Amino acid sequence: MNVPSKQRDIDSITSLILRVGVLSSLSLIIVGVILLFIRGSADGVSISQIASFHSTFNSSYLNPTHIVQGLIAVDPLYFITLGLWVLIFTPITVVFTSMVTFITAGNRLYIAMSLIVLFNLFFAMLAIPSLIHT
Amino acid sequence: MTSDITLILRFLSILGGGAMAGILGSLTGLGGATVLVPLLTLFYGIPIYFATGASLISTIATSAGSASGYTKHKIANIKIGVGLEIATTAGAIVGSLTIVAVHEAHASWIIYVLFGIVLLGSLIPTIQRSSSEEPLKRKPDWTTRIFQLAGEYYDTKLKKKISYEGVRWWLAEIIMFFAGVISGLLGIGSGALKVLGMDWAMNLPMKVTTTTSNFMIGITAATGSSIYWYEGYIQLFIAGATAIGVVIGAYIGSRLLLKITNKNIRWIFFSILSFLGVEMLLEGLDKAKVLVIATTIEEMISIAVAIIMISGLYLKTRRGERAVKAA
Repeated sequence: MNVPSKQRDIDSITSLILRVGVLSSLSLIIVGVILLFIRGSADGVSISQIASFHSTFNSSYLNPTHIVQGLIAVDPLYFITLGLWVLIFTPITVVFTSMVTFITAGNRLYIAMSLIVLFNLFFAMLAIPSLIHT
Repeated sequence: MTSDITLILRFLSILGGGAMAGILGSLTGLGGATVLVPLLTLFYGIPIYFATGASLISTIATSAGSASGYTKHKIANIKIGVGLEIATTAGAIVGSLTIVAVHEAHASWIIYVLFGIVLLGSLIPTIQRSSSEEPLKRKPDWTTRIFQLAGEYYDTKLKKKISYEGVRWWLAEIIMFFAGVISGLLGIGSGALKVLGMDWAMNLPMKVTTTTSNFMIGITAATGSSIYWYEGYIQLFIAGATAIGVVIGAYIGSRLLLKITNKNIRWIFFSILSFLGVEMLLEGLDKAKVLVIATTIEEMISIAVAIIMISGLYLKTRRGERAVKAA
């Protein structure tokens, strides 16, 4: 039994997505950290406060929807924020690409299963945080 | 200026810790976080909620970083992985909501104790794992056909194609749900449970199990990440440093994995994990004021227990090998 060529293609695409996702994420984090050390503060928060292990400053103060404004203002923290969110989305895109191969192969069972996985993922991302804070 | 240098050094030292965790995590298929959380809390003094937050982020990085290598080598079975993710993502939601409640109740000692138990429990599936690279053949069941669990890969060490047929898909799904809960709860990939689900329940070859688990870990961790983010468990300075560190570590680890035998992997991971497991357990009991002891005594107990456990396991394995040779 040979591995179908479609499967081989998707394996290569998956590998590429994962690599590009991780590398761009890490580059953004590194740029953010370097900017942070150069500027010494970000968004009115001092670097020693940002670097503290017992910092009261954490991710809950950084809204991912403000990433674009943050990047335009060259705010180091938003470079790191974008880097971390690119990382979070990297494995999710792999579920998408797998679903595409299931669709081209007409594999209904696995199309349904990847849809359930995506539903769980987006429910956790979009619905739950707002449910907790209301 | 001096304070700036201190902060740069602090960043690099967290990065170094992340790299060490990344190597071990990728070799064992557990994900770097299993080592990262004890490292950050016990040796860096970072609060547990920031440690688990950094760890969850790093779990995604280590998973994606090493999985890119594995999928290219066509060892990981993405189809089986996606199917089992139904249970892990659901479990991760339950787990991360539970952790929010635990923190709100100021009962973080529970996380330490649970972490210790999970760490020590990770040893059990590894002890019971057969020493051979290929699983014993099992008769395919009804799930093999319906869920398309057959596959094959080329083993570079054995220099041959290995084909396999997974069984008991339903049992794996149940185990994966708990793997997801643990992942959301402790900010780890819970690769040990994933390995248990695929190696023991589904009877997949070890290499397929560890690599598929590594790929799945990222999706599970992504599920909990957003809840962690809005709850403020992610400290950007720490999470950024560990993410970079574990990727470097995972890259080195994935290179090593394709070269060394399973036996070597097991001994490195036994010794370190058992020490960290006991240490976390004692730290949790200390924080709960159940068992208040000095740090040095705590460490001595952990080392002693780790040595006893590892020697016992080593002797057991050697006896098993001798029995095989005699037969």
